[in-house]
Amino acid sequence: MIIAVAREIADYERILLGVGLPTTAGALAKATHAPNCVLMTEAGIIDFRPLVPPNHIADVMCLRGFSYALDLFNTFTTINYRGFVDKAILGVGQVDRYGNINTSFMGGTPKTGMRLTGAGGAPDFIAYARETILTLKGGEFVPKLDYLTSPGYMGGGEERDRCGLFPPGSGPGMMISTEAIFRFDPKTKEVYLQSLLPGVDLHKVKKKVPWDLRVADPLKPFPTPTEEEIDYIRTFAPQHCVPREVMMELAVKKFFEFAGGKRKGKPG
Amino acid sequence: MPEASPNKVMTTQEAIRRFVNDGEHLVIGNYTVGTCYNQVAEIVRQRKKGLTIYSQSGVFDVEMLIAGGCVSRVISTYCLRSGGRSGGSMLERYQRAGKIEVEDYSNFTYNARLTSGAQGYSFLPVLPGIMASDVFKVRDFMGDGKFGVVKCPFTGRDVPVVPAANPDVCIVHVQRADKFGNAQYWGALGSVAWACLASKRVIVSCEEIVDHEIIKASPQFTIVPSFRVDAVIEEPGGAHPAELSGYYNLDTLFWAMMDLANRNEEGFRAWMKEWVYDLPSRAAYLEHYISRFGKEPLDRLKAKPYYSAPVNYGSAFTSMWNEEGKIRIFDMTRTEFDKFLEERGLLTDVS
Repeated sequence: MIIAVAREIADYERILLGVGLPTTAGALAKATHAPNCVLMTEAGIIDFRPLVPPNHIADVMCLRGFSYALDLFNTFTTINYRGFVDKAILGVGQVDRYGNINTSFMGGTPKTGMRLTGAGGAPDFIAYARETILTLKGGEFVPKLDYLTSPGYMGGGEERDRCGLFPPGSGPGMMISTEAIFRFDPKTKEVYLQSLLPGVDLHKVKKKVPWDLRVADPLKPFPTPTEEEIDYIRTFAPQHCVPREVMMELAVKKFFEFAGGKRKGKPG
Repeated sequence: MPEASPNKVMTTQEAIRRFVNDGEHLVIGNYTVGTCYNQVAEIVRQRKKGLTIYSQSGVFDVEMLIAGGCVSRVISTYCLRSGGRSGGSMLERYQRAGKIEVEDYSNFTYNARLTSGAQGYSFLPVLPGIMASDVFKVRDFMGDGKFGVVKCPFTGRDVPVVPAANPDVCIVHVQRADKFGNAQYWGALGSVAWACLASKRVIVSCEEIVDHEIIKASPQFTIVPSFRVDAVIEEPGGAHPAELSGYYNLDTLFWAMMDLANRNEEGFRAWMKEWVYDLPSRAAYLEHYISRFGKEPLDRLKAKPYYSAPVNYGSAFTSMWNEEGKIRIFDMTRTEFDKFLEERGLLTDVS
């Protein structure tokens, strides 16, 4: 998943990163095929190279220096609104068939539903980045969003370009889950399945989509990782190389040593 | 406006008592990092009530204020949720119970409200794409006052706007300040300076109070000037468990403990009792931490230095008098100059 996202980043591109997987993908791209890409976050950390996986988008402890210290307001205006974000890579809570996303409320209104993290920077970045890459880790496909946080292709077809609020041709380009890669039809703007991760069953993926998901024929092969890519990720982010349960198992052990605190009588 | 005062240095207890009042609008100046947990805990202990909280990105700071019963309204863009779908947050619990009202903005539109307030405008344009989002369409307590739309007189296009925000008080933690209140902050800038400058009063806490000379030699790091600041607090570790560039990293294990506690309300209340109510100050909090977990976890988080490269603010001269004791542009000594003024009749007798 990380490698597939990293390969979307070309050298010299200006990349806006959301938290989590996007940052690791950015770090990988910079260490391998795109050493001159400019990585940035909305906290105003512009042109950085993560040395450890950041905890969040304002984490300057994950790096040693960066080229341009900007504030949030000017990151959104002088960089984003002016069209200097080539790709934004962002996480998704709920997504519909036209790549509209919800990261705010699920299963009800703001007063009754489950409160997700909220809009953050997503709506303003998806609006003005030339292209957006969506990562769907715990997210879900729904026929209708409970809350439209960030507009993708709206009602599909020409609607996004016609409404005059966004730069022409912008919008989600790729979406990736732990099982598959999706793209958007250039005409209808509907999402379709492009590649399956090796060993993933097509019907299992289709079952998670509450409409008849279109599937590329033939499916494109999932990108094969190189030795260099695997080695980099294992070194940079070992915690991303094991399943969540295994990571929890290892982390919990350390946590309980900590939470148990100082034991009386223990030497040292 | 801050009172004219030669020395604004005080304790957190005094600053919160003097400058935070029930029913006011309070902005948490820090964005995700460097959070002023010392001040947040003190507001909870002093049982402030009815606050409207502005937070660019609310995590345990907003959770603590809500759990402490200090809050009636929240304006934010992003809030923590503990424990995934089966967990929750104090914000969600209180909002569902009808005990607080919440207005949700996006990062940029929220910040634009503070920028507008800081710059003295009554509103500011925001990026038009927001009009296609429910952030624009769905309104809570602000109703029609959440966003507006104006026509650009030059292009004729519709432009969404947000109203200025001028909170009564900003609480903020930074790396260093002088006793006058010049506050220096570096790292992820976020909206920290805008929050300070938008507010009517500013309470600054810092890791160290430094000599004014240090501030003067590095003015590019000053985010709010002395004449806007009411209180200066020296409080090392004030942002723990959050991180602060150049001082300490995020305490991920302690954070995980808070997150685990916050999966339900009782858990978070138990955490609040141990770490907020039962400890009178930040110093007591750090002592309690050391007695529970030892000093090692904190030592491991201490930042190793990576210094900013010094820049040269020097100039060719800093006096109108040259090395020979003469005026640089007239080539005269002081005696010669005084005599010259007298001879030319340029002196007026005021006796």
